[in-house]
Amino acid sequence: MAVAHPSGADHALLFVPGQSVMHRLNPLTKLTCVLWVAVAAFALPPQGTIPLALVAIATGIFAGAGKVFARRLILTLVPLSLALFVVHGILVDHAGDRTVILGLDLSHDGLAYMVRILGRIAALLSGSLLFVCTTHPARLLKALDAHRFPPGMAYVIASPLLLLEPFTQRARAIREAQMARGLNLEGSFLARAKAFPALLMPLVTLALADIDHRAQVLDGRGFRAMPHRTVLDAPRDSTAQRVARWVILISIPFLIAGGILWH
Amino acid sequence: MKLDTKSLVLMAVAIVINVVVGQIAVWIKLPLYVDAVGTVLVGILAGPFAGALTGLLTNLIWGLISDPVAAAFFPVSLAIGLLAGLLARAGWFKSIGMTIAAGVVIAIVSTIVAVPIIVYMFGGVTGAGTDFATAYLLAVGQELVQSVAIANLVQNLADKILTCLIAWVIVKRLPLRFTSGFAFYGHSKA
Repeated sequence: MAVAHPSGADHALLFVPGQSVMHRLNPLTKLTCVLWVAVAAFALPPQGTIPLALVAIATGIFAGAGKVFARRLILTLVPLSLALFVVHGILVDHAGDRTVILGLDLSHDGLAYMVRILGRIAALLSGSLLFVCTTHPARLLKALDAHRFPPGMAYVIASPLLLLEPFTQRARAIREAQMARGLNLEGSFLARAKAFPALLMPLVTLALADIDHRAQVLDGRGFRAMPHRTVLDAPRDSTAQRVARWVILISIPFLIAGGILWH
Repeated sequence: MKLDTKSLVLMAVAIVINVVVGQIAVWIKLPLYVDAVGTVLVGILAGPFAGALTGLLTNLIWGLISDPVAAAFFPVSLAIGLLAGLLARAGWFKSIGMTIAAGVVIAIVSTIVAVPIIVYMFGGVTGAGTDFATAYLLAVGQELVQSVAIANLVQNLADKILTCLIAWVIVKRLPLRFTSGFAFYGHSKA
């Protein structure tokens, strides 16, 4: 199975090419760290999740992904903050004291809950962003193949990553062609709803048309003839990273226990 | 369970269809996600296991390439694919009326799966348009879980019925030489 070379920046990906320490780490080591951060985001209170998010953001900036981090964090956290402020700060009837500021009757517990949720999501988001910004999917797949991942499953994960960019371009071409024929994408809700099938059907029909051919080519190459694939240029791994992965995994139950005690 | 090569290719293409059709819905400013057409399509053609796997991988891949938050909702996509396959096996995609009923069932189940994720992971909001409905329901005296459930059920009903109808129309338009390769599709033939 051919996979994209990880040196170039793809429009459909958040990956930022670079040579930082994070870029050089084995993808499975980074994936283990993402798992640890995901558990920590739920186990720890805001005093733990907010510093964790800040460390991940600082590491992301150091790895050259500052712009991607800023954009994704603003796009996700700003609307969430506003919604949480209205829902928990004002509307939900939390127990505890309330304060009137600028005419708004704000709940102390509601605002504390808002900070807790934002800290959790910031940690989750920045941890996963650090992974996706410094790991090209092709490198992840090579790491999975090197660790004897079944080829059928590897195909189902790799193929969409490779097809996404051409399909997005195809969808754009269909949109331009239909608009040239007078399709209205800026009109009323009804007009836009009517435009949906005109964009959708050609794309899906084209996508499904060559499934038979793709399946025949794959079978012809015998891509599942062997239980595991051999990777010629597997991402570099080391004893230190293997030990680190085990230490991270073993620490997770202690992290959960520590989080419970901290709460 | 080992899937044949054609089903694997269908699943890979369906994941891309999910992502790109979701993008088209954003282009034309539809207030719906419509990001499970490929998942339902696989459920109808290849069964519940393939459907569930397509749903699961769609959200994980989506999380991997552009929106890490989408990965949190993988149980919802998994449930949609699984349910689409089970309903297809029971013959719910044989006619347009049954397909709408299947959309209603999928909407209800996906809401049941989504509400705990929205409430306990995101505090009841997602930063999307349904937050306005949630805030309104809270303002008129509903509890948080009820508000999130009602707001999401209303949106999911429209979204999943439309998703099932699109998948049904696509499947019915497919040539016989294509569908004959999917034995499971026999459950959905009228």
